[in-house]
Amino acid sequence: MAASWKRLLFHILLLLVSCRHINTKTPGPTPPPLVPISSLPTDERSVSLKGESHTENVELLNPVNLALQCTWTGNQNKLPNITGFWRKDGDEVENSRVTVQLEGDEYELKRVFSIVSEESLGSYSCVFGSEAKIEFVLAAPQIGEVRDKPIVSYVGDSVVIACKMEETKPKPGSWNWYKANGTDKEQIFVVAEPLRYEIKNEERKTKLVVHNLTEADGGLYYCGAVYAISTTMGHVELKVISFQEPLKPFIAIVIEVIVLVAAILLYEKSQSKKNYTEGNGATDQMNTMTQGENNGPEGSSSTRQRKI
Amino acid sequence: MPPAAATKRGHAPPDGGWGWAVVFGAFISIGFSYAFPKSLTIYFKEIQEYFTVSYSEIAWLSSVMLASMYAGGPVSSILVNRYGSRPVVMVGGLMVSAGMVLASFGRTIMHLYLCVGVIGGLGLALNLQPALTIIGTYFQVKRPMANGIAMAGSPVILFTLAPLNQFLFDSFGWRGSFLILGGIVLNCCVAGALMRPVNNNTRPKPKTEPPEHESESQGCLHKFIDVSLFKHRGFLIYLIGNVVMFFGFFAPVVFMAAYAKHQGIDEYSAAFLLSIFALVDMFMRPATGFIGNSKWVRPRIQYFFSFAVSFNGVCHLLCPLLPGYVGLVVYAVIFGLAFGMVCALLFEVLMDLVGAKRFSSAVGLVTIIECGPVLLGPPLSGALVDIFGEYKYMYYACGVFMLVPGIFFFIMHYFNYKKLDEEKRQNVPVDMRTCEEAVQLKMSQDSNTAHDTDG
Repeated sequence: MAASWKRLLFHILLLLVSCRHINTKTPGPTPPPLVPISSLPTDERSVSLKGESHTENVELLNPVNLALQCTWTGNQNKLPNITGFWRKDGDEVENSRVTVQLEGDEYELKRVFSIVSEESLGSYSCVFGSEAKIEFVLAAPQIGEVRDKPIVSYVGDSVVIACKMEETKPKPGSWNWYKANGTDKEQIFVVAEPLRYEIKNEERKTKLVVHNLTEADGGLYYCGAVYAISTTMGHVELKVISFQEPLKPFIAIVIEVIVLVAAILLYEKSQSKKNYTEGNGATDQMNTMTQGENNGPEGSSSTRQRKI
Repeated sequence: MPPAAATKRGHAPPDGGWGWAVVFGAFISIGFSYAFPKSLTIYFKEIQEYFTVSYSEIAWLSSVMLASMYAGGPVSSILVNRYGSRPVVMVGGLMVSAGMVLASFGRTIMHLYLCVGVIGGLGLALNLQPALTIIGTYFQVKRPMANGIAMAGSPVILFTLAPLNQFLFDSFGWRGSFLILGGIVLNCCVAGALMRPVNNNTRPKPKTEPPEHESESQGCLHKFIDVSLFKHRGFLIYLIGNVVMFFGFFAPVVFMAAYAKHQGIDEYSAAFLLSIFALVDMFMRPATGFIGNSKWVRPRIQYFFSFAVSFNGVCHLLCPLLPGYVGLVVYAVIFGLAFGMVCALLFEVLMDLVGAKRFSSAVGLVTIIECGPVLLGPPLSGALVDIFGEYKYMYYACGVFMLVPGIFFFIMHYFNYKKLDEEKRQNVPVDMRTCEEAVQLKMSQDSNTAHDTDG
């Protein structure tokens, strides 16, 4: 607690110091805050840019006052003054345009933003002149491993759709499931249809079980990981097919096997008939020729063999 | 004279002609037997979610299938001794197919264990043994070549099944895929149809004669399976060496991708290592068959096998020393060579030792005894990795488990060959052990004439 107050004091001091160089500074763009800004915890992210642009991903769980600091080493012609401003989601933030002085071979832009809800999340960029840009992407933890291919199941069967939040990411408070209805999402409530749906939640994993599938159950399902700041979504597609679908290739293969086996056996029969009728005399001859090598039970045993 | 298989023969093995069609049939049967259990692992994740079981419970499916396949060996041998290869393979194909089709309607994991694991595994056993046996009846001079080509079925079919299974899974989910796989595996029946008994064209003989002759001199059990093999010197050498070897044989394949990922390599490159390995294996098997057939190697083919086993051992001992992704690729290539060599010769040397006639019983006994190390090997290796936290001790262990049998084989076969030569020189009525040896020499002398006469 003392530490965060100290940090806040430090930020205010910095503000006052930079006030001498910067004409105006107003608090960041926020919707009418539901929570007084000063009671939110604070956090800071700073990036030092050497090239032309950089993107930094910032993962947030709870509402926070986030101070974003950009430092740029400049290009070949280091002008003493350049204009810098902030953008949110591509639109310039009101009253954020300032003149940045070259200090210690660097330019610096800093601003505090109040991130309270889903609308506050997004892309914040600090822009130096028209040359350098650092983008901060503010988001709640994203669901990494989602199946990109559809899950296939059958009419009358049940299916398990799962979503997982990686071990490296913070665990969500709870999970929600939604089914896509046109362009909307409808939340699935188990109490409404307890025979059809089951939701099994563990800390980092959630499973939606749908029983007694029908073709209408196919489509996109969304799992939402609920965090204080917002709910992140992952989606999985479900395809419901009838049992006739795999049956067709199966029957085709069985027919192919029957045809081949019949062909091979018929070919062999025709061959053996030919040989039997032709070679009946010849085979006897062949037998006497190979008598000395004969290993069959009726053959004579040579010194080289012993019958077993 | 090539000792005939339990089927009757009135002439020397054709060494060609329809034999190559039989080799193709064996290629399919052997391929499905080895590749099918491995390729099913692609469905495990979804089945695991569907039935809400743990990872080890789903891994049991593979183990049950493999155990059934190995335990079914003697059953298969007995049936082959009695009925010949063709009907057994066709029944086996029907069994696997039925197992898969029934499994596609499964409601519990137990259902899958029974249908895919037990019935499927047994069906595959009925495919493997007869396929190996029939090669011995069709080939003598070119047998190592035929064996090498037939054994290449395993990597080739695995290579085809892996992407096919992925496609089926994406299109039909696991149930539909199992149904279609039931159809695909029915092609083993086609392979069986090709396995025409070798004397069919010349002279039909009453099938009961040979067993009766044999039973008079050997007793009741020998009508079904030849247990006098346990007194056979060569068979014992083979058995002892193989039992030790199989502890370290498959684990490096199972853990290759995991080892690569442990080194920091991404998933796709790790999978690519396995593809390199499979590709090299695929070409090495017929190549080994070709080398084994050459007149320098054939008479002393046991040494070639000993070399192959030792080579595997050395390969694993050196593996942990190779750094980076390039080192792993080199290892995958060399391992592919070594693995392919051993696989191509695995059954050829058994045939060479016991002769084609007793091979069917021999391979049945060998597979059921090898069942233990094959099933225990990977989990034990996994335990080594878990205990030490790194893979190099597992590789050292596997290397030792292969090098020691390799050296054992070299030494024992040196003595065995000496004894065989002695027995031949003494010119006593020699038994089947020497028969093979004498044949090798005769065949290598007659190889020129044999080439002229074969079709």
